[in-house]
Amino acid sequence: MTPFRTSYWHIEPVWVFYLLAAVAVVVFLFGLFAHVSVWVRGIRRQTLPFSWRGISNLFLDGFLGRRIFKGDIAAGTMHLLILWGFLGLFVGTVLISVDYWVYHFLKGAFYIWYSAGLEILGLMLTAGLIWSLIRRYLQRVPRLERRFEDLAVVVFLLLVVLSGFAVEGLRLAAQRQEWARWSFVGHWLSLLWVHPQGALAAYPYLWWVHAFLSLGLIAFIPYCKLFHILAAPTSIYLENQPPQAIPVETRSPDDEVFSYRDMIFFDACTRCGRCVEVCPSTGAGEPFSPRDFIVWARENLLRKYHPLNYFTWLTRWANHRHTSEQGFDPQKIWHCTTCRACLDVCPVYVATQDAIRQARSKIIEEGIQVPSLLTQTLKNLYKYDNPWEATKKKRAQWSQDLEIPDFSETEEAEGLCYFVGCTTSMDIRAQKLARSFAWILKHVQIPFGTLGKREPCCGDIARRAGEDGLFEKQMEDCVELFDRYRIREVVTSSPHCFNTLQNEYPAFQALKPPEEQANFQVRHYTQLLRELVKVGSLWFENPLHVTVTYHDPCYLGRYNQVFDAPREVITAIPGVTLVEMAHNRANSLCCGGGGDRVWQENLDADVKMAEIRIREAEATGAEILITACPLCLIMLEDARKTTSLEHTLQVMDLNEFVQMALSLEHIPGEQSVRRR
Amino acid sequence: MNIVVCVKQVPEVTDAELEINREGTEILKEDLEFDINEWDNYAVEEAVLIKEAHGGKVTVVTLGDEDCEDVLRTALAMGADEAIRIDEQGFEFSDAAGIAQGLYHAVRDVPFDLLLTGAQGSDDGWAQVGLTLAELLGISYASLVVGVEIGEGTITVHRELESNTQEKVEMPLPAALTIQTGINNPRYVSIMGIQKVRRIEIKETGSKELGLSEAEIGSQGSSVASQKLSLPPVGEGAEILTGSLDEICEKTAQIIRDKGGVM
Amino acid sequence: MDEILVLAEHRQGELRDITFEMLFAANTLGKENGLATAGLLLGHETSGLAGKLKGACDRVLVIEDPELAHYNADQYLMALETAVKDRKPLLTLIGHTAMGMDLAPAMAARLCLPLVTDCVELSLEEGRLGVLRQIYGGKINAQLVMKPSDHYLISLRTGAFDAEVEQGKSGDVETIPAPAWTNLRGRQFAGADILVSIGRGIGKPENIPLAQKFADAIGATLSCSRPVADEEWLPKSRQVGTSGKTVRPKVYIALGISGAYQHQAGMKNADTIIAVNKDPMAPIFAIAHYGIVEDLLQVLPVLTEHLATK
Ligand SMILES: Cc1cc2nc3c(=O)[nH]c(=O)nc-3n(C[C@H](O)[C@H](O)[C@H](O)COP(=O)(O)OP(=O)(O)OC[C@H]3O[C@@H](n4cnc5c(N)ncnc54)[C@H](O)[C@@H]3O)c2cc1C
Ligand code: SF4
Ligand code: SF4
Repeated sequence: MTPFRTSYWHIEPVWVFYLLAAVAVVVFLFGLFAHVSVWVRGIRRQTLPFSWRGISNLFLDGFLGRRIFKGDIAAGTMHLLILWGFLGLFVGTVLISVDYWVYHFLKGAFYIWYSAGLEILGLMLTAGLIWSLIRRYLQRVPRLERRFEDLAVVVFLLLVVLSGFAVEGLRLAAQRQEWARWSFVGHWLSLLWVHPQGALAAYPYLWWVHAFLSLGLIAFIPYCKLFHILAAPTSIYLENQPPQAIPVETRSPDDEVFSYRDMIFFDACTRCGRCVEVCPSTGAGEPFSPRDFIVWARENLLRKYHPLNYFTWLTRWANHRHTSEQGFDPQKIWHCTTCRACLDVCPVYVATQDAIRQARSKIIEEGIQVPSLLTQTLKNLYKYDNPWEATKKKRAQWSQDLEIPDFSETEEAEGLCYFVGCTTSMDIRAQKLARSFAWILKHVQIPFGTLGKREPCCGDIARRAGEDGLFEKQMEDCVELFDRYRIREVVTSSPHCFNTLQNEYPAFQALKPPEEQANFQVRHYTQLLRELVKVGSLWFENPLHVTVTYHDPCYLGRYNQVFDAPREVITAIPGVTLVEMAHNRANSLCCGGGGDRVWQENLDADVKMAEIRIREAEATGAEILITACPLCLIMLEDARKTTSLEHTLQVMDLNEFVQMALSLEHIPGEQSVRRR
Repeated sequence: MNIVVCVKQVPEVTDAELEINREGTEILKEDLEFDINEWDNYAVEEAVLIKEAHGGKVTVVTLGDEDCEDVLRTALAMGADEAIRIDEQGFEFSDAAGIAQGLYHAVRDVPFDLLLTGAQGSDDGWAQVGLTLAELLGISYASLVVGVEIGEGTITVHRELESNTQEKVEMPLPAALTIQTGINNPRYVSIMGIQKVRRIEIKETGSKELGLSEAEIGSQGSSVASQKLSLPPVGEGAEILTGSLDEICEKTAQIIRDKGGVM
Repeated sequence: MDEILVLAEHRQGELRDITFEMLFAANTLGKENGLATAGLLLGHETSGLAGKLKGACDRVLVIEDPELAHYNADQYLMALETAVKDRKPLLTLIGHTAMGMDLAPAMAARLCLPLVTDCVELSLEEGRLGVLRQIYGGKINAQLVMKPSDHYLISLRTGAFDAEVEQGKSGDVETIPAPAWTNLRGRQFAGADILVSIGRGIGKPENIPLAQKFADAIGATLSCSRPVADEEWLPKSRQVGTSGKTVRPKVYIALGISGAYQHQAGMKNADTIIAVNKDPMAPIFAIAHYGIVEDLLQVLPVLTEHLATK
């Protein structure tokens, strides 16, 4: 007898099953509809171009789980077992229906393979699920939460597979087919039943239990974190779509602040907690965690746009229920330094820092809850084009005695435009880096100039605060100035300016007619220095025997993937030993100065982020901590003082370090930097 | 509860180097930035808070040139509903009483229960307009208000006195209050916020429309015959310590020790 | 017409300093211009106060009524009006205080008088009144000449004149005996010989520990200007100035305080004042004995170290 698949064996009445299945599908669809009705409320301006990258990411991150493996092989393997087990069984079940309704093909050798395959998939799923329970409840992996949902979902899935195996066992015990041993798990279970009659009697009941559980699972998906089965692939596909530009002018008061992408990202989140593990704010013991924010945003949006809101009493009940719970305090979003570490580790590409910026824009628009120092800063930015002081006059003071051409006083700029930036221009400590950079440029005889006191703020600070109107105004000022003085080549001292000019402007510029678009190139100074080293115009005569470590600024490293340029410059200096901190490159720890935290009060917990960072630097045994960002410089310099490391560790900008190396007198023998 | 708030635009001077014109009549304003008077900002916020709690309408009034529309827009963005600008023409060189006359004629036909102004202007610091206005309107008033409680047809306010003390006074509505800083936390006004109110029309009026004669306002109506500005002598009194940061601190430490500071 | 009327200010049974400061101004001006000075006491059971007044003016006028027991703008205005109509003085002086700021403008409006508020100097030349005011937060002086009038209302800034007025006179007083009131004046900082005071220039609350460290190093108490208290970075009780505490320490160190007169009023009698401010034009330097034109955040750590090393 050829092996074949028996369907609905001894199951009566089959129509009840179809009815239940229909109900499950309706419940599922309604849940899906609820999510989609949130997504469509997300703000969207630009169309979505088709993306092959997206498709390939989908395969790599979705099907192969690339990002889940990253940094946690155990989690990756466990998830893969569950994912493939689940998917395989799902496909297997679909095949049964095809076999029953469309074309009978589950027979013969193919059926044998099919049966054995399903057994393996079932075992994989079971193993994965049990492993996940062990990780969460026995190993107690710190980043994992132990909410009811977390247990329920796994147990539910486990019940479905186990009941499946049991049903199979009963069926095989009753049928005693000769090919049964290929369904090895079922076969093994069937051996437990000595009486085929008893098995047959019990079989339908258990079949119904299994059917009920399976259909229940389908219905349950959109209502629990299993919804990531649908949302995660969507979010992975959308990840590399270009950022949207949503000019303030085009916004209406009813527009949601979050984009449709953010909303899908929120839905894709499985609360895995990787972001919590890397978030410097959480790490410093501050009362904020990216995951809490995501969950809060998701729940809020769902409550706000749920289709059942049509029934006002339901809304009222939901709101009432919510107020009695203690939720996430939206004020906490000011803790985020926008360091992007969370995005780098999130398996489903949740861009928390972006969503937070959007959430901030809501607070800014309402105006009531804006931190008071930030209020002052934004007002200064508007009036004086810098966050630090209520004057424009001091902007060029750092260069008073340096005779640097002021492009704003010429007809047409000749050469490189050095965009100094607010902090570098105004902060006494940071000014030194500008002086060093100017010195280096003169040393290598590159013609350059600045915009003097006409230089505006690039808009980064306003952008991070969610004050998009101000950002757009400052962007226009900047672009207009560059255009007026025909500035084509820009180099910045701050990674923040660099990132804003490089990554934030283009989306907005693209909305303008081509002839009005900005037309300039921007580099960070580390890139320029590296180039100078490469072409041989920047070279170091004398060795500098010193051990240094390098702190990757978030906006240079993670945001713009500039990891090697500064390191190449450092190692081009003979004698220098570069050692790495525990967190480096994409994994770097934020100094705590980003995301406008410098201009707010009372965010720090007992230990400041910069102090944590400087301790890491200290641990390397380096004598100098080099960085390439004015904000990092002032934050770390401050931390050096508060941790009493003044005598063991120096903090320097790369420019200062390079200048020091260039101005070394040639003295044979040892050099000590600290004595300089 | 309908509320009228009188606001003014002032130059920001805390961090600015001030210069005076040759005639000595005015400071040079080209390089200065302007903003709503700090005390008025608190007054607008207080009005909006009261409106949010008790309903009604907030009308802001300013007397100034066209640029002063900015402060009205700011106030609208904070939550005011209507705005009136009295053109400055004719009011040049008015004293506080002249300004109060202008405001009085503009607000007397606006129905209101409360009239708020800042306690003083950060520029010329007269601290007069609010109360003069109250007197012209013949309503009760309180100055230097740091707390407001609305009752039934009455209002109870906390007035700030010297030496860290306050007093509580009650009065019938309508009433005029001059608001002291610290009474609330004025909200931030974003560019988005300003954009949202850009279509609200600002009512324009002027000394002629208000039926004011030249004798009542401007330099004619002022009790001041002339005003001459000068810069106070620099650092008079203080011996400015110079040198490197280290030297300065060394000297200061010595002074503190000499004067019996360190225990 | 030939009299200067001074509205005496008193609270909780005590004449406030401003009263004597005004009398000082009135007597000086009176002597130069042949004008008599009259102190006006409004209140209930004020004889003790009248006694203290009479040495400093040519006449003490008392309006006694239970209605005047507590300061209230309505009653005070009426009483003041009665007195002014009765005496027809050339000048009426009121303090630019919480009370004066509450009275003078309304009084001027009611009686259609020319009013100049917040004056720091007064002069009379050929019957024309000249006054000096400080505007733009003390950064600019404005010398005003008033149009001729037969009655001026002036409010004087607290602390602008000397409160140690000569007590050579013996004005007539109409007194009604009354018990002496106990002294209920607001508390002062007790025992602090040295005060380190921070202003808006401190930037943010995170920087306060820097100042605290410095204060600790010299055994000082930390106090502040109004904006710092408004922001609740330090408790209101630490605020120095007219609406806060008046202090008189041996050394007063003002960090990032511009020196608005309301602040000055609370601290200018300190024996030594040292001011740190970035702005060389800050009015605080006008009353400080020593000035440092620097960023206080730079100064503090170095200074603290210097003080700690000995
Ligand atoms: C009725 C009334 C009562 C008042 N009562 C009081 C009172 O009791 N006490 C009081 O203090 N005020 C009082 N005020 C407020 C007063 O008018 C001023 O607004 C206030 O004193 C200003 O405080 P500040 O000097 O701290 O701030 P600002 O005037 O803003 O001055 C800050 C100063 O710090 C300097 N600065 C900034 N950064 C630095 C730095 N890094 N290093 C060095 N210097 C820096 C700036 O140059 C500036 O001079 C009162 C006002 C009114 C109307
Ligand atoms: S946001 Fe991403 S990393 Fe954070 S919990 Fe959610 S899925 Fe995990
Ligand atoms: S961007 Fe950085 S600070 Fe912000 S939530 Fe993510 S990890 Fe935390």
